[in-house]
Amino acid sequence: MLNKKSILSLLMVLFLISCACPKNIFVLLPESDGTVGAIQLTNEKGSVLLDKAGEGLTVAGPDSPPQLVKVMSQAEIERTFKAALKAEPLPPESFLLYFETGSIILTASSRDLIGQIMVSIKTRESVDISIFGHSDRAGSKRYNLKLSTARAQKVYDLLVAQGVNTEFLQVTSHGEGNPLVVTADNVAEAKNRRVEVVVR
Amino acid sequence: MLSRVFFVVLSLMLFAGLALAEGLPSGSVKTVQGEVFAERQGKVLPLVKGVRIFAEDLLVTGPDGSLGIVLRDNTIFSMGPNSRLSLDEFVFAPVEGDFSLLVSMIKGTFVYISGIIAKLSPESIHLETPVGVVAVRGTRFAAKISGK
Repeated sequence: MLNKKSILSLLMVLFLISCACPKNIFVLLPESDGTVGAIQLTNEKGSVLLDKAGEGLTVAGPDSPPQLVKVMSQAEIERTFKAALKAEPLPPESFLLYFETGSIILTASSRDLIGQIMVSIKTRESVDISIFGHSDRAGSKRYNLKLSTARAQKVYDLLVAQGVNTEFLQVTSHGEGNPLVVTADNVAEAKNRRVEVVVR
Repeated sequence: MLSRVFFVVLSLMLFAGLALAEGLPSGSVKTVQGEVFAERQGKVLPLVKGVRIFAEDLLVTGPDGSLGIVLRDNTIFSMGPNSRLSLDEFVFAPVEGDFSLLVSMIKGTFVYISGIIAKLSPESIHLETPVGVVAVRGTRFAAKISGK
């Protein structure tokens, strides 16, 4: 027999269960280097901004306003997102290789980086490696596009010689259009004579 | 002679069709556990490490499945079990200045880490869920979506 009291306690239990596991949760997490950005969830009923690590929000459904919740504990985050957190891939790694002025000869310290790039490719079992060629602004635009293409090609050849599958490599040339250090035209700047390799 | 021209034109058309169907890969599979597949142009494709991901792929994990992918702009998505994510659009052409990342997190658990598009063109990112749209400012977040 269900009396008033047991119905009430049943409702209480149901209420507690539903509150313990909200249907939709968003939590802001720190990046691997510790920086914290922000996210904002918006639907027709409202909008909530999260900008502190561990801060969360819940939404009952598409027709309910998002609700800010207190900072979630590390244990709670681990429990809720365990498998997805475990499946996070290693972040891509980026390398900058530098060249002698007007040439496709790598500087000595950049030559040594080729070995580190190979370690990164093997660790990540990468099938997706980008090579971006850049030049400084000494010389014409056309000359610099040609030079940055030749530099990127040089790094491509070095990686292929180390046994990297050519299908895993993409080469792009930016010429003088995407400098690390902004300079006036016709200025030689060692930091801009570079090839960036990104291992994903 | 005419038949030879016809043959050349036909093979060119076939080649163009193939190129269109393939497109540029958007990224690749980095981590896999359990049953995980992609629905691509009406076909089901089991996912293993190293398989390429394309725009318009629907990524699905089974009850014991999990998946991690890295896109060409360094954006990372990982998914827990019983999850569905649709990569509706992906354009990353920094030389031309063209960017677009349109993703639907349909249901399940997810972790997102932003890539270069978030730095160069955050307004080109649209992360949709059944309960609202997420705007990001260079960041990492987790989401649990129970579906509609």
